[in-house]
Amino acid sequence: MNLEQVFGYFEYEFMQRALISALVVGLCAPSVGVFLVQKRLALIGDGLGHIALTGVAIGFLTGTAPLWTTLAVTVAASIVMELLRSHSKTSGDVALAMMFYGGIAGGVYLTGIASDKGVANLQQYLFGSLLTAGWSEVWTIVIGGAVVAVLMLVLRPWLTAICADEQYARVSGLPVGALNLLLLVTTAVTVSVSMRAVGLLLVSALLVIPVVTVQQFTRSFKATMFAAMGAGLLIAGTGVLASAVKDVPPGSTIVLIGVAAFVATALAAAAVRRLRRTRRGHLPPEGEPLEVELPAKA
Amino acid sequence: MPVLNVHGATVSYGGRAVVRGVDLAVAPGEAVALMGANGSGKSTLIKAVAGLVPLAGGTIELFGTAQKRFRDWKRVGYVPQRTGAASGVPSTAAEVVSQGRLAHRLLGMPSRRADRDAVARSLDEVGLADHAHCSVDTLSGGQQQRVLIARALATDPELLIMDEPTVGVDAETQAALAAVVADRIDAGCAVLLVTHELGPLTDRLDRAVVLADGRVVHDGEPPRPVGEHADPGHQHSHPHSNGQTAEDFWGGK
Repeated sequence: MNLEQVFGYFEYEFMQRALISALVVGLCAPSVGVFLVQKRLALIGDGLGHIALTGVAIGFLTGTAPLWTTLAVTVAASIVMELLRSHSKTSGDVALAMMFYGGIAGGVYLTGIASDKGVANLQQYLFGSLLTAGWSEVWTIVIGGAVVAVLMLVLRPWLTAICADEQYARVSGLPVGALNLLLLVTTAVTVSVSMRAVGLLLVSALLVIPVVTVQQFTRSFKATMFAAMGAGLLIAGTGVLASAVKDVPPGSTIVLIGVAAFVATALAAAAVRRLRRTRRGHLPPEGEPLEVELPAKA
Repeated sequence: MPVLNVHGATVSYGGRAVVRGVDLAVAPGEAVALMGANGSGKSTLIKAVAGLVPLAGGTIELFGTAQKRFRDWKRVGYVPQRTGAASGVPSTAAEVVSQGRLAHRLLGMPSRRADRDAVARSLDEVGLADHAHCSVDTLSGGQQQRVLIARALATDPELLIMDEPTVGVDAETQAALAAVVADRIDAGCAVLLVTHELGPLTDRLDRAVVLADGRVVHDGEPPRPVGEHADPGHQHSHPHSNGQTAEDFWGGK
């Protein structure tokens, strides 16, 4: 296996398309994911992925492009989710649980009806089919990804504030409701746009894995965000290359490489912390003097 | 015109009134403590003032404007009850404090020199200038609390609302924070402070409002420690329930 052979794969147009789509998703998904991890909503991408199945099935049923029906369904679901979270006593994880069950059931049920028409193939949306995407789909991913990444980068300080301490953000007069909604809708767009590339079930992984991988070494939010976007790019690129070599689906390869990267950095970070324990960046907290007399040892 | 005027405020949780018809006014530059035992409704009242819980009855005015129509939140600095400044993703102390400047910035606009200066100045005020670029989750509990106070100071508030800012903070930090807050009071900032203990922070107060069972039972001079508690060198001795004295417990002297 030599380098020439690897580059040889990219003479094929479908490989170029696969690589571009994966790189864009790898770069843009973590820019949203970093806020979801901050808000402790890491699983929401997965929840919206399940809901998206219903959207895909509606696309099958109505004969429209699944991308648009998915986009409509996930955006609607994220709005309902945010209203539930902010206006009722239903907690975020109960709403998530409902999305998981309802989304999958809806997708399978509607696909069952649509299968009479002989168009139903949920598989390629579940696990991604980078290799069969056309140029128009690549452009959708590039434009959607660019809009998402630019929004996240420009609004970073505001989104950080609402994700880190929502009550404080409210008291500083920030439009908390609108920003929360924006974050969820952006997540929905990311999920819908990247489903053809990495697959619905694996989108959540690209939202979260790069973030939790790099945050073991970063100290600031800004550095975490940029490093996560870099890591996502690297993981997605390596994943496409590796899948071409082994001739396996790119989606699962990308996620496995991501998980491996996370495990490796977690181990490395633990080792580094052990080494550095004696050399801290700043003084340890000053404790109060002990106010008791310790018993003398017998 | 008072910076804060609460009239007949009632707040209920699930049908049970926790704050019942409270009147409270804070004049510009005045330092007021809101005191009371656990469950007296003091934290709930301050959350209602900050707009975090809805009123069931009564009115709240901030700087002469009804709270519902009040938009100038950058004049209010808020220190929430201690939850720690750390969260899911690492953030530096400077990043947390810069949240206090967001009310001064237009959505989507980059920070200006004045914003960065205010962040550096408030970190310096609470004595964390050297820790600006440390991740907050590596700071001690007391240092994290100082970060949250710096965040409220960075707004350059005219009314500083603090919900139990010194719980779990060591004596030395409490004294340092009291000095910081006293400086702001001298500069004309009004303070509304929730506390259930007397300490360095309460020495500088003009007035105390004591709540019991959701009602105001005292509004005037801050309470002073009485009896042997008034002696700065007094010793606490808490006999243990099994009849042992503290000395027995620690093996005698």
